[in-house]
Amino acid sequence: MNCPIQSRDPEKLVAYAAGALDPESARALEQHLMGCADCRSMVADQAAVWQALNAWEAPPVSPDFDERLYRRIEQGVPFSWWERLTRPFRPMSLRQALPLTASAGVLLVAGLLLYHPDYIAPAARSGEIVRANQVERTLDDLDLLRQFGTADSGESAHPDAR
Amino acid sequence: MHADAQPCMEPGVETHMGAAAIAAVAAIGMLDYDAELMLRVKDGDGACFGVLLEKHRASVIHFIYRLVQEQAVAEELAQEVFLRVYRSRSSYEATAKFKTWLFRIASHLALNWLRDEKHERGQERLDDASADLPVRQVSDRRPTVEQELVYAVRLREVRLAVAALPEKQRTAVLLHKYEEMPYAQIAKVLECSESAVKSLLYRAYETLRARLAHMEST
Repeated sequence: MNCPIQSRDPEKLVAYAAGALDPESARALEQHLMGCADCRSMVADQAAVWQALNAWEAPPVSPDFDERLYRRIEQGVPFSWWERLTRPFRPMSLRQALPLTASAGVLLVAGLLLYHPDYIAPAARSGEIVRANQVERTLDDLDLLRQFGTADSGESAHPDAR
Repeated sequence: MHADAQPCMEPGVETHMGAAAIAAVAAIGMLDYDAELMLRVKDGDGACFGVLLEKHRASVIHFIYRLVQEQAVAEELAQEVFLRVYRSRSSYEATAKFKTWLFRIASHLALNWLRDEKHERGQERLDDASADLPVRQVSDRRPTVEQELVYAVRLREVRLAVAALPEKQRTAVLLHKYEEMPYAQIAKVLECSESAVKSLLYRAYETLRARLAHMEST
């Protein structure tokens, strides 16, 4: 096969066989075809292929195709992970969603307030202060008793001194 | 602005179309009408989706049908194609022709389906696919039984020849022959170079010529 068109520009022959070549190029190619048996044979074969492919009609589309599609769109079959995640909330109207969101917010704030490991309730703190005062007072009382005890024992230690 | 755009355009939609969207359309060099419609879908105009569906429904289904060669599967996959188009409306950018994007989705889905099914089915499935034969137009002269038989045999031969092509060659031929796409657009659909498309088509048609050229005389 020494034909320059077949080796360098075979798509021109394909386009010609399909009737897709512009008139000027088609005329030039026809001139070439008159003297090139290889190209003539290829064009004839390609035209036969084109004709055979033309005969392949696709079946008609089902009449309910659109209806099925719109149903699927309305159902909103989840597609991405985000859609799958947010899908349960999507059909909910604003009126339905607002009280739920508000309740969830209140619960969240309450939870945060209640769960505070460093938080010390005021009642507990005053209890501790009371307990510390009591201990102090008890220690003072013990001191006093000790002093009394020392005084008593001092008096009884020198009974003859009077 | 195209006059045909009116049916899906609600009053004031044009003004709602974002500046970014308009810039995107301008960026593709010319007003691809379908891209413009899709940008309106993005802006919330659902009626424009209906226009796009009406325009491309048949070609998408027929393209997938010729790839997978089963009508029920083709319709199911085409549903998925349009669902994906609808769901990705919010992220749609008019960086290429709408049809290129649409057929890229369609060919991805169809080729993935073919790969998944490859292990389960062989080409023999084509033998019992007579239910998918198109209903031929009834003219004044009804075809004889013999003509019907010849048609069925020829059709089967064409289907087998196309099905025997490697996936990429097959897709390129279908886009070239039935969608009349230029090489550059086929290259964008298949995500390869234009010279690769030329090579794919050359080899595909060479194979088809070897298998189908004899049909010329029948």
